[in-house]
Amino acid sequence: MKFWKYLGLRLTTWALTILIGVTFIFFIPRMFPSDPVERMIGNMESLSGSMDPAAKEAMRKSLRIQFGLDGSLWEQYITFLWRGLLHFDFGPALMSYPTPAGEIIARNLPFTVGLSMCTTIVAWCIGNFIGLLAGFRKNKRSSRILEGIAICIYPIPYFILALVLQIIFAYVLGWFPLQATIQYNNGTATFIATLLKASVLPALSILLLGTGWWIISMKSLSGTTSEEDFVLYARYRGLSEGKIGYSYVFRNSILTQITALAMSLGGVFNGSIMTEIIFGYPGVGTLIQGAIMQSDYNMILGCITISIVAISTCTLIADLIYPFIDPRIRYS
Amino acid sequence: MRKTLSLCLALAMVLTMFVGVTALAEGEMTAVGTPRSETLVMECQSPTDNPGQFNPYMIGSSMGFGVHQLMMSHLWEMDTAAGEQFGEIADGMPEPNEDFTKFTVKLRQGIKWSDGEDLTADDVVYTFNMIKTTEKGISMTAYLNTILDSVEKIDDYTVQFNMVSSFPRLTQVFGVTIWGNSYRIVPEHIYSKLEDVTQFKDPNPVVAGPYTVKDFDPNGYWVLYELREDWMQSTLGVAGAAYYGYTEADTPAKYVWVRALGDDTTRQMAMINNEVDLLCEVTPEMLDYMRSQNDKIACWYNEFPYATSDDPCSKGLVFSCGQGEPWNNKYFHWGIALAMDFDEISLGIFDGAGRAAAFPIITATSSGQELYYKPLLDWLENEFTIELSDGTVLTGADVWDPEYAFRMAEFKEIEGDEDYLIDMFGVGCWKYNPEAAEKLFIEAGLEKKDDGWYYNGEKFTIEMSYLADTEAQAGRGVQAAYDQLSKFGFDVTIVSKSSASWDTDGSTGNFQIAGYWPFNFITKDIYDKIQGFDADLIVPVGERANGQSCRWDNAEATEIIHKLAGIDPNSEEAYQLGLEFLKIAIEDLPMIGFHSGVKFVPTNSSIWEGYPSADNAYNGPWWWWSCFKYIAPRITLVK
Repeated sequence: MKFWKYLGLRLTTWALTILIGVTFIFFIPRMFPSDPVERMIGNMESLSGSMDPAAKEAMRKSLRIQFGLDGSLWEQYITFLWRGLLHFDFGPALMSYPTPAGEIIARNLPFTVGLSMCTTIVAWCIGNFIGLLAGFRKNKRSSRILEGIAICIYPIPYFILALVLQIIFAYVLGWFPLQATIQYNNGTATFIATLLKASVLPALSILLLGTGWWIISMKSLSGTTSEEDFVLYARYRGLSEGKIGYSYVFRNSILTQITALAMSLGGVFNGSIMTEIIFGYPGVGTLIQGAIMQSDYNMILGCITISIVAISTCTLIADLIYPFIDPRIRYS
Repeated sequence: MRKTLSLCLALAMVLTMFVGVTALAEGEMTAVGTPRSETLVMECQSPTDNPGQFNPYMIGSSMGFGVHQLMMSHLWEMDTAAGEQFGEIADGMPEPNEDFTKFTVKLRQGIKWSDGEDLTADDVVYTFNMIKTTEKGISMTAYLNTILDSVEKIDDYTVQFNMVSSFPRLTQVFGVTIWGNSYRIVPEHIYSKLEDVTQFKDPNPVVAGPYTVKDFDPNGYWVLYELREDWMQSTLGVAGAAYYGYTEADTPAKYVWVRALGDDTTRQMAMINNEVDLLCEVTPEMLDYMRSQNDKIACWYNEFPYATSDDPCSKGLVFSCGQGEPWNNKYFHWGIALAMDFDEISLGIFDGAGRAAAFPIITATSSGQELYYKPLLDWLENEFTIELSDGTVLTGADVWDPEYAFRMAEFKEIEGDEDYLIDMFGVGCWKYNPEAAEKLFIEAGLEKKDDGWYYNGEKFTIEMSYLADTEAQAGRGVQAAYDQLSKFGFDVTIVSKSSASWDTDGSTGNFQIAGYWPFNFITKDIYDKIQGFDADLIVPVGERANGQSCRWDNAEATEIIHKLAGIDPNSEEAYQLGLEFLKIAIEDLPMIGFHSGVKFVPTNSSIWEGYPSADNAYNGPWWWWSCFKYIAPRITLVK
C-alpha cells in the first residue's frame, strides 16, 4: 500500500515537473526579440542584395499564415499541449518548413543518443571501477597513478581536449576525418565503417573527460566508505578484500553514482553542441542551437520537451529502483 | 591489474594502427568514395536544414548548397566580370513593346533536361503559371500576381510575358543580378503531375544545369553532385558555348562535393590538408595562417590586399532615422562622418585592405566606382556645401578626402600608378575633420560640456550594434567606429546582436546606429537597389518595414524613385536620375559607407587550378552564387 501511495505521489510530481518545464519553454522563446519570419526574409534579402517592398510584404503575410503564427498565444499553447506534449507532434520546423520538427529530431537523435549513451555508460563503468580501486586501495601505486591521470584530465576544458584530439589524430596524423562524413547509401558495411570512423574522436573526447569525473567522485565516496566502522568490522571478521570491496564498499558507494548516472542519461538527449560543432557530428545539440538562432519555436519545443521528459523519467526510474539497490531505503 | 592495463593498451594500439592503415590504403579517394582527382571540393558555410530537398519551390530548400550553383537554371544569368546579364535559358535579352507591358522572350534551342527531354516554352510557361496559381506555399505568388498578368507560349521556343502595367525591369526581377534568383525554371513534364508542388521534396531532381545529385548526407552536411554525361546539352553546354565559347574540351570536374566544414579551425585545417579546394569567406588572419602552411593557397590577389573589393554588398553605418531627433538630422549624420578617422577605421577592419566606398546606398564595386563615384567627384569637390546657422559654410574640401588611396598605399608600401591605387583603395573617403564635426553636432542641437555631449539637457549616449554571428567586415567596422566616436568624446555603448534578433531589429528600426548593409551595386540601373528608400513605405519604429530599415524620409529622393519606376532602365535619363538620387542621399547622409564588399575567398591549387583571380579575372570568386556553373569549366586538374 505504501508503495502505491509513493508511486502515485511520485508520478504526480513527475507530471507536474514536465508541465511546468514545457510551459516555460513554450513562452520563453516567444519573448525573444526575434521572429522566424523576419529572419527568413532577412536571409533572403541579405543574399539577393535587395528585395521589392511589395514582394516583401506579400511574403511576410504568406509566411506568418504558413508558420501558424497568426493565432493567439493561448491558442498556440493549448494546441502545443495537446499535440506536442501528448502526441509528440510539434508541428513543422520553421527553419525547415514544412518538414515536421519531430522528423528532424528523429533523424538526429539516434546519433546523439548513440554517442552520448555509449560514452556515458562506458565512462561510468570504467570511472567507477578505477575510482573504487583508487579509493579502496588508496595506498597502492597503481591507484595513485590512475587517480593522478584522472585529476590531470578532468579539469581540461572540453573544447581544448577535443581540439587537441582533432589536431593530432585528424589533422597531423590524418587517421580520422576532420569532419564526420558518414556514407549512408553505399551499403551497410560502408555505413558502419564510416560511422565508426567518424565516431571515434567524438567518443574519445567525451569518454576521457567523463571517466575523469567518475573516477574522482567514486574515489572520494569509496575512500570515505572504506573507513566506516562496518568495513573495519568486516576486516576483523577476516573477510577477503574482494568481498569487502564489492559487498561493503562498492554497494554502499554506488548509490550516489546511480543517481548521477540517471541524471546523465537523461541529459544525453540534450546533445553536445561542442562535440557536434568541432567534429561535424550530427546530433540535436546543433539542432537546438540553430533553432534558437532562427527562432524556430517548434524545433526548440520539440528538442527541449524530449529532454525534459527524458530527465524527469530517468530521475523517476532511479527513485523507484533505489530500494532494490539499497535495502535501507523504503518507499515512504 | 597490470596485466589488464597492458592488454587494454595493446588493444588500443592495434585498433589505432588498423584505422591508420585503412586510412592510408584509401589513397586518393574522398571520404564520399570518389577519386580525389575527379572531385572538386567546395565549402558551404552551414549545413542544410533540409537534406535531400532540391525542389526550389519548397520553402526551406537550401539553394546555396550547390543546388543553384550546379543544377538550377534561370532565364538570365549574370556575368560578374562584365557586370552584365546574359541569356541562360533565354536566347538573349527580351524584346519589350513601347510601354514595357509585353515582352517577347526567345529561348535557347538544344537545352535538355537531365532525363533527356527538351527544355521548351512549355516549361517556362508552366513554371510561371505554377507560381501564379499556387496560392499557399510559394512565397513569390502574391507578388508575381501584382506584376505578371499572363505568360503565353508563342511557339516551342518563344514566350510572351504580359505584365499588369508598365514594368521596364523584367530581366532584373526574373533573372540573376547578384547571388541568384527565385524564379527557377522547372520541368513541366515532372512538376505538372504533382498534386502539390510545395510538398514535393524532389530528392532526385531532373535539372537543366550540368550536374545532378549523386548522393547526399541525410543529416545535411554534404551533397555530392555528378556531371551529366550530356552536359553539353545542359544550360552550361548550350548557354556556356554561346556566351563563353565552351566546348567539350572544357569538361568540368566529374564530381563536385559540397560540404559544410564546421568551425573556422576545422576549415583552416581542411584547406591546409588539401581536403577542400574552395572556401567561402575567411578573415585575413585565417588566410595569412593558411598561406604560411600551404603555399598553394591563394586569394584574389597574390599579395596585399589579397581580397577582392567587388562583392556588391558593402558595409558601414546606418542611422535609424525613425528614432527622431537627432538620429534623422543630417547635421548629426555629417558630424558622425567627420568625427571618425577613416584611416584608423580601415586599418582596424582588414588592415587597410579594401576599396573605400563612402557614399550612402551605392557601393564602389569596380563598375560602381566608374559609373557613380567618379562622375560625382566634381560635384562633391566644387558644388557641395553644408551651411550652418553660425554662417559657417562647409565645402567639399572640408568634408571630402581624395588623398586616402595614396596615403594608404604609402603606408602599406604599395606601388602603382594613380588608376591602380584608386582601383585598390577607392577615390576617397569622408575627411577626418573634428572641428567641423563639433560645429555640425552643435547645429544638430547637441551641446558640449566638460564631461561630454548633452542633448535636450541630458547626457547624450549612442548605442551602436552589429551582427555577431557572421560578417566580420561589418562587425569590425562598427567596433572601429565605436573607438573613433569614443575618442571624439561621446558616451558610446556597443551591442553585439545574434542573428535571432538582428533582422527583427532592422525591420522594426530598433537601433540607433548599426552595421546593417543596405549598400550595394551591380547594374548601371540602380532602381531595384533604391526602390526601398521610397518614403511612402516608411512605417513607425516598432512596426515591420517593407522598405528601408533606416526610415530615411526624403521627398525629393522619393520623387526620383517614382520617376525611375516607369522609364527604360537602359536610358540615359535613368542613369542621370540615379546620379541625382545619389546627390540627395549624400546631402542627407542617412548612412555612412566604409568599404565596398571586401571578400577574402581562398582557393587551393594543390589538386585543381584555374580559379578566377585578379590576374585571370574571367569571373568573380563567388562559389556560392548561381553563376558558379560558368566558372567550373575553367577549373582544371593540376597536371
